[in-house]
Amino acid sequence: MAEPLIHVRHLYKSYGDLVAVNDLDFDVPPARCVAFLGPNGAGKTTMMKTLYGKADPDRRDDTEIRVLGFDPRTDELEVKARSGVVPQENSLDVELNVLQNLRIFSTFYGIPWRKARDRVDYLLDFMELEEKRTAKVRELSGGMQRRLIIARALLNNPSLLILDEPTTGLDPQVRQLIWDKLRSLKRSGVTILLTTHYMDEAYQIADSVLIMDHGVKVLEGNPGQLLTEHMESHVLELINVDAQSQVESHISDGEIRTEGSGERVLYYSSDLDRLQAMVGELSPGEYHLRQVNLEDLFLKSTGRSLNVHQ
Amino acid sequence: MSTSSTTAPVGPGDTAGPGGTAGPGFADGTHHELSAGRPPLAHRLYSVWLRHVRVYSKNLISNALPPFLEPLIFLVGLGLGLSRYIGVMEGLPYVEYLASGLMMTAAMFTAAFECSFGTFIRLEFDKVYDGMLGAPITADNLLVGEILWAGTKGFVFSLSVLVIVGVFGILPVGRMLLAPFLGFLTGTMFAALGFLVTSWVKNINQFNFFFSGFISPMFFFAGVVFPVDNLPAVVRPISEILPLTHPVRVTRAFSTGEFEPILWWDLAYMILMTVGVGWYAIHRLRRKLIQ
Repeated sequence: MAEPLIHVRHLYKSYGDLVAVNDLDFDVPPARCVAFLGPNGAGKTTMMKTLYGKADPDRRDDTEIRVLGFDPRTDELEVKARSGVVPQENSLDVELNVLQNLRIFSTFYGIPWRKARDRVDYLLDFMELEEKRTAKVRELSGGMQRRLIIARALLNNPSLLILDEPTTGLDPQVRQLIWDKLRSLKRSGVTILLTTHYMDEAYQIADSVLIMDHGVKVLEGNPGQLLTEHMESHVLELINVDAQSQVESHISDGEIRTEGSGERVLYYSSDLDRLQAMVGELSPGEYHLRQVNLEDLFLKSTGRSLNVHQ
Repeated sequence: MSTSSTTAPVGPGDTAGPGGTAGPGFADGTHHELSAGRPPLAHRLYSVWLRHVRVYSKNLISNALPPFLEPLIFLVGLGLGLSRYIGVMEGLPYVEYLASGLMMTAAMFTAAFECSFGTFIRLEFDKVYDGMLGAPITADNLLVGEILWAGTKGFVFSLSVLVIVGVFGILPVGRMLLAPFLGFLTGTMFAALGFLVTSWVKNINQFNFFFSGFISPMFFFAGVVFPVDNLPAVVRPISEILPLTHPVRVTRAFSTGEFEPILWWDLAYMILMTVGVGWYAIHRLRRKLIQ
């Protein structure tokens, strides 16, 4: 096992009485992609910001943070010089065009423009923005702006890429494209850290997911493995709650776990035959029988009701 | 070490970390030297300053015309109008008296706007800083760079007044060549004050108090349009406290050629004000940039 690229122990961050990150531990090995999942207010963004000095963690003696061999609390510049950051909200200069935006950042990284130009050509091609090089940012679609920010974060050829909700609000085509690019970056050795609300995103590109809730790590591991370890294999969603009485006779023993969410009842089981027997009692349209997914695990581990920050 | 997974050679800048890694090998293999550690402080300040220059010069026509038009309007409106009645003020022809003061008010207004409304918008609406702070720049670098930018605007705006008064032959330009540098100092001082107010306000409308209650009155009570000595005795000490009084007195000395020892106090005031208020305001603003 390679030495971790990111090493975090006992990370705390509070805002007044609110504890946003509460005793978080994790390691990220090089050239891996780790996805942080959790409801709004779970502390994902705050955690990410502490890694590059955008947020100060609580001062405690037992906190350890190493990112690329540096402590961001004292060496944020060393960390940022070797990382790329994609913040949650688009932060481009909308009056300027694509090239001008990249040029400003190449100066921030200390790369002379004549040297950066090859890199920019390469990145515009990589993020499929070649035709937009002289377009004003204001005229770009949301998906193009997002891709431009990713290109901007790659200007310094970073070892670590930190992305806060990279595909939120984008259409499926752009999401697929961004996932492809992130996979290809990972293959070339870039370590990727991302937060997301999309379970399929985590499943598609992450080697490992970390589920947070109320600032605490709830679960961590390979998405597939987590599902096998913590979940039944299938779920029967009963969409028509009035039909509950028709299937009740099948759930007498412990083989089926029932979960209610108001207008829907979910029956989890690893015994597919049993769920299919239940389906026999129902009419089409009243149910949906499927494999469990990361969203089921997420809802199981973080609870179905909304918290005050959502 | 998992360098086996990389396709490009590991660059010198990538050796620092454990996992020492991953000169993330883009196939062109030319830029593993790109992430070679932090740029030096001077470069970081320069890059922030240059960002503002580039964004500002993007709309050069609409941004560069007002600094020439405004002094022209003031000189024509107040100068030509009033000078028929006033003639000479403190030994100077009134238009000349007014023009030397306007060089500093131009620097004041542009810097105060830049570091109040401008900073607030970048912070709260455009989220520009969030992006910039992902690059190797600290919050302090970013804010100091912005003060230097406001100082530059102060320089350019005083210079444009100088160009106008030179073209119209109002002032002997040769004697006033140092005034734009004073405009730079004035700009940084009002940038620091603007930052302080920005660190206080909860919403953008509260800047109205700063401009209506502090900046605009200074136009009249800092010796720009009439000498502060003419103010009632109770008000005079107040005008001595006002920041604009000091650069105006220095620039007027350039105009008259009479340099009194009090000018040292004026310069000291400007430097102390800029450094003191600037340091405190950056300390406060940092908490808005770093969570």
